[in-house]
Amino acid sequence: MPAPPYKMWEILERARTGPFCEDEAFTMDRFMPKMQEVIKKYGIEYDPATPIPSDDALADAVWQAGVEFFLEVGVLCVDTHRILTFDESEVREALYLIPGQYTVGLGKDSCLLRCRDVEDEDPPFVIFSPDISCDEELFLPMCVAYLREPLADGFCAPILEESMGLKIKAKTPTELAGSMEHAMSLREAAKLVGRPGIFLVAAGTAESDVGQISISSSDWGVRTSDSRLVGGLTELKIDNALLNKAAHYQQFGCFTGSLTGPIFGGYAGRAEGTAVLQVAYHLMGLLVHQAHYQMNFPFHIHYTSGTSRELLWVASASHQAVARNSKIISVSNGFLNAGPATEMVLYEAAAHALTSTVSGANLWEAAPARNKHKNRATPMEARMAAETGHAVANMRLSRKEANDLVSKILDRYEEQIADAPLGSEFRECYDVRTSLPSEDYLGLYRRVKEQLATLGLQFPY
Amino acid sequence: MDLLESLVQAVEDGEDEDALALAQQAMADKMDPLAVVDALTDAIREVGDRFERMEVFLPEMMLAAQAMQKALEPVAPHLELLKEKRPPKGTVVIGTVEGDIHEIGKSIVALLLEVNGYTVHDMGPDVNALDFIKKAQEVDADVIGASALMTTTMPGQQEIVELLKDMGLRERFIVMVGGTPVTDAWAEEIGADSWAENAMQAVAVLGKVMELRRGDASATV
Repeated sequence: MPAPPYKMWEILERARTGPFCEDEAFTMDRFMPKMQEVIKKYGIEYDPATPIPSDDALADAVWQAGVEFFLEVGVLCVDTHRILTFDESEVREALYLIPGQYTVGLGKDSCLLRCRDVEDEDPPFVIFSPDISCDEELFLPMCVAYLREPLADGFCAPILEESMGLKIKAKTPTELAGSMEHAMSLREAAKLVGRPGIFLVAAGTAESDVGQISISSSDWGVRTSDSRLVGGLTELKIDNALLNKAAHYQQFGCFTGSLTGPIFGGYAGRAEGTAVLQVAYHLMGLLVHQAHYQMNFPFHIHYTSGTSRELLWVASASHQAVARNSKIISVSNGFLNAGPATEMVLYEAAAHALTSTVSGANLWEAAPARNKHKNRATPMEARMAAETGHAVANMRLSRKEANDLVSKILDRYEEQIADAPLGSEFRECYDVRTSLPSEDYLGLYRRVKEQLATLGLQFPY
Repeated sequence: MDLLESLVQAVEDGEDEDALALAQQAMADKMDPLAVVDALTDAIREVGDRFERMEVFLPEMMLAAQAMQKALEPVAPHLELLKEKRPPKGTVVIGTVEGDIHEIGKSIVALLLEVNGYTVHDMGPDVNALDFIKKAQEVDADVIGASALMTTTMPGQQEIVELLKDMGLRERFIVMVGGTPVTDAWAEEIGADSWAENAMQAVAVLGKVMELRRGDASATV
């Protein structure tokens, strides 16, 4: 357990009894000034020349700033207008109680999900996920395609927009139906490919608390060996529906992932604030959501992606901060600019995985085409990230070496970010019947992999 | 630097107390309130442009907007005069659709519309389709802006359009939709009037749609 169960109720009660604060005042008078203060106090500075910094003191400063920021600002519940606040001893207690690893999934398919160190020699745990919505008839073939990937330790399926031909609307019976269809089809796909016990994170179709709660069933739905996600509101805010999810996941007994995406250019400001906020979100996940792992997708306010130079620095600095100072299991989610079957998307996937892996994170890959376009994701982008993550760990790459390498990869795509190619849809570069990639995409993949090998990345196979 | 330039600088820098003091001084010096408002509007637009060019980010833009609000306080008594000479560009009711709790994108659009001369009523997140319409009727809005951040909440945008049709009000309001998963194809499918990919585009697109509508109205008249 990341924290004793009694604490859960004690903390959730603070959403009713904590200090009163209105939304705007929380952001303008509490969040924004305190962020500027801690950045200055701890001397945190982004350096574009080192998207992967090697400075331990910087990582520790980001951690300290994040802890102080979290303790001073707290978390606002927008339904009750109350701030959930914490004292230092509670943070220390929660950090002390983290086991640092969990066995997830079932039977022969179970794996160890654990916290990683900076420059860890063990490969990252890789959760494959398209992160986008898909046509109802593509759901099963897409799931099968992703689940066939050999380096997938876990899987999160695409989101359904329709169920039985009806448009799914959150908080209505169509959402309940879609969530059920999602959970059942996902289990069916896992069984079909011979990985019935694989660790599943589900169900993205269930946006609301009722949607999530309706599919808790080890018989046909989400099992206790699987995981669910609970997010936050921008920034450091929650509401009662999110607390419902957090409480239900604990009582049902599945693994909780805290899902947060601090916005670069948003209330936290630039790279420095985004990294500090990401550390604070790890503490929110631990103390408010009682999460077993933290899933992070920092993204750019204009591009909604995470592979620009500044965002790679955010991922690196914040994951190093967490890895050096806690046993929190952290997962880094790639938001890529380009779409499938483009050179750019494969370079972006490699850059994100390289940065995250050497900085102490596990991987959640990947959302192509800025996580925006239906059907526009394939397992190949995640495959590139996973193979890169394994390469980085196997090579025992240092941060300095990783920085040199990622700088060369950035040269291959950085200038295209604003006008990134949209690429192809799943059915344009995969055979829907066999769930296998097209020869064209396989050829492109091989060519990019060879280029990355030329730059110095030694793939395991 | 003269008084007006100092005021503009204070707004651009987000220094609300300085902006207030300088605006008070400007009024005490009997400066033309319209000239002051024009300068402030230019200043906040410049901050919006810098945001678009990624030279500044949300905190700077919000502090600048706050400073502008402060600067307008002493000018407020003269605003009736301003309204006669400069009617607002239009009235917008904006919110995130029912079931959707995300609102930062919508809030940026609201902020940019406001600084570009629109009267904006921000209903926040998780807004029922009928509540959008009731509010739009109440404030005699020109535009209903509906944001959705999740594919499973996008149907909330469609509901607004369908309710407007069923209530016989479809032609009364411009319906603008946006949000990360929302595309022009979706806007077309549900019969919305316009769609924008980002906040700055929303301002530009709405300007064109309003122009068109005004043109049509005068043609009819």
